[in-house]
Amino acid sequence: METAEKILIDTKMPFCPGCGHGVCVRSVSKSLELLGYGPKDVALVSDIGCSGLVDPLFATHTIHGLHGRSPALGVGVALGLNNPHKKVIVIQGDGGATIGLQHILEAARRNIDMTLVVINNLLYGMTGGQMSGLSTNEFKAYKHSDDDAEPYDVVNLAHQSGAALSVRVNDISNFTNVLNEAISTPGFSLVELSSLCTSHGMKKISEMKNFIVDEEKYTNERPIGISLKRETSSLLKHVKILETQFSSSINDSIGVVIAGSAGGGIQSAAKLLAQAGMLAGLHATMKGEYPITVGTGFSVAEVILSKNPINFTGLENPSVVIAVTDDGWNKVKNRITNTSKVFIDSKISTEKVYETKDFLKVGGKKGAILCAVSHWINESGVFPIEALLKVVEDSKYAESLHKAIHSAEELREVVYSYVPKKKN
Amino acid sequence: MIDASRIITEALVQSGADVFIGYPITPSNLFYSCSKERFPEFLAGPDEISVLQWMCGYSAAGKIPVTATSFPGLALMAETLNMVYMMELPMVLVIVQRLGPSTGSATTGAQGDLKFLDGIISGGFPLPIFSPSNFKDAWTLSNEAVKTAVKFRTPVIILTSKELVMTQKSFDINSLEPLQKIDRTPKPFEPPYQPYKAGEDMVPTFYPLGNDEYQARFNASTHDNDGLIRKGTPESLANTWRLREKLEKRIDEYAFYELDSEDGATNLIVTWGVTADASRDAVNSLRSKGEKVSLLIVKTLLPISQKFYDIIDSYDRVTFAEENMTGLYKEMIFGKRNNPKVKTATKFATMLTPSEIEEIAK
Repeated sequence: METAEKILIDTKMPFCPGCGHGVCVRSVSKSLELLGYGPKDVALVSDIGCSGLVDPLFATHTIHGLHGRSPALGVGVALGLNNPHKKVIVIQGDGGATIGLQHILEAARRNIDMTLVVINNLLYGMTGGQMSGLSTNEFKAYKHSDDDAEPYDVVNLAHQSGAALSVRVNDISNFTNVLNEAISTPGFSLVELSSLCTSHGMKKISEMKNFIVDEEKYTNERPIGISLKRETSSLLKHVKILETQFSSSINDSIGVVIAGSAGGGIQSAAKLLAQAGMLAGLHATMKGEYPITVGTGFSVAEVILSKNPINFTGLENPSVVIAVTDDGWNKVKNRITNTSKVFIDSKISTEKVYETKDFLKVGGKKGAILCAVSHWINESGVFPIEALLKVVEDSKYAESLHKAIHSAEELREVVYSYVPKKKN
Repeated sequence: MIDASRIITEALVQSGADVFIGYPITPSNLFYSCSKERFPEFLAGPDEISVLQWMCGYSAAGKIPVTATSFPGLALMAETLNMVYMMELPMVLVIVQRLGPSTGSATTGAQGDLKFLDGIISGGFPLPIFSPSNFKDAWTLSNEAVKTAVKFRTPVIILTSKELVMTQKSFDINSLEPLQKIDRTPKPFEPPYQPYKAGEDMVPTFYPLGNDEYQARFNASTHDNDGLIRKGTPESLANTWRLREKLEKRIDEYAFYELDSEDGATNLIVTWGVTADASRDAVNSLRSKGEKVSLLIVKTLLPISQKFYDIIDSYDRVTFAEENMTGLYKEMIFGKRNNPKVKTATKFATMLTPSEIEEIAK
């Protein structure tokens, strides 16, 4: 940590005559100097508005951001630096504090090691003196504002969110002392400093006492929020390498649509089919479709198996459609073409005659789809069923998956069903 | 089997990206989960505005941050993205396109965000936008994205689509060459150090907040070479003008594309992103029927390289294949006005198929 270097470059303040912001800025710099911080030990984050004019005054590192976002920017700087010897100071006004209130609560919730100075002059100074979310009702009445909503207590909100220290100071002679405590406090500290806007508020600081909120101070004892760094390994290491072990009768490509209900293992079965195809020397793609509410409704997957590399992964005309529930069938039945081979469960209501099987009965609710897929593999002879058995070998569910695949052996007899449409 | 989410995530980390900061949104969620597993540092932001602000902080502190989102999240990020651009902070944003407008259909792919990104920087400033057309591109362009972000001190967008990043595909991962971390050693500069003073390469030397050598300043408002707000001075306006020039004048250092040119062809298909694979199939089919046709797959969508104009101008007939309503890339090249030499093969709400492209382009 450096010492004896001035934090302020310029002591001539850019604010209106009599503005309280100058006192706040001098107090911040004085506090940093008293605590022994050198300019390069400090990253000053500034906001938009009158309080955002401070960058040129400081010899520290500075970053001047957007309106209200500076506490979030400060969180990023603090976590990015991850250095207890570097201090992050954020300065914003009461306008910034409300536009980005969530950012303050989040910084407090995480107890990020930074100090936020909210300079509250009770109004939006730079845009003409409009009322802010921190304007008190007394001040709003004085300004003839018809807004009587209670102001935010940003100090208490920060405390409730978990700030290590949050404090409001109205007495300018005490600014530096309070800032010393805040900047020295590990974790998130918020200091609300009362300030005078001589252009849009009142002319004398002595008048302010009628319009400001009482001083308050809160503390929380919590660990400092840090971002953990960890050793990780390549995602490619987790990719299952599938070398060709079986042969396939597919000479071109086929597209298989697999349909059922959420929780029925549709996506897993599709992936296993694609992987079995790869064991049989085929190229494969697999994609899923399901409602946003993944735990209910239909679940549909598409698998393309091809002798040649696959570019386009869409499926225009499915060669095979397999469905084991009404949810799934209703989603895919319109995709069937004259050349599609259809395999559906015997409990599915259909208007046309399709070959049906008791996939649910013999495979069970969880195993029906794999039973149906296995049945199609057996029927079509696209590749040996052993490819599918092999691919599930390493699964922690290998036993039940094997059982579902073998259950297809029971499906010898073809049953046809036709359920007439109900008449109204 | 693998998907492009994993490939892009791995490539970004190998290229030296330090931290993933995200807010989950379909269909970019695979990036979120893969990044949680792979990035040395992972943060869950409370909203997309916070995410990008935190990323700015990390970037200003010398790290390379990454996020992934979709249009609703990107829209929230628009103001901060302008800040990133103005501050000249390196970072990478992966945008996974889905069907809009508004929240649209979260699980339906699309290519509908290109023109939003074209105008997202107020004033019409260019933002580098890379668009992988397949898994191989996903690997190499992610590396180029980090490289470009650092080299030009700029945010870089990797524009993808649901179908590219969520579809699993058999793929030889051994074909992916290991990547090197991008060097972040500050460039030499002529003293004294000024955070926004650029040399002939138009890119200022980067020193992070908190460094012990030089005072670092970053500024989202119009600023001078020292990084201080200056309204309308020649120096500050030149500094802003430079943001455009550094990216447009040096575009050919990062203008990526694939031209499958056929001798004697007067017919060209132009495409990008997820529609490229369908276009590859369409071209193969057309050629098998004796048609002469060439294919241009654009991988750096913005800024537009003069090379692309030259290629397009050298053909009599051009078909733009895109998964949106009107052909957004076509409109960026030719405008909205009808042009007799230009056709569009477009599709709304489902993937454009090879046969549909073939029908328009033949």
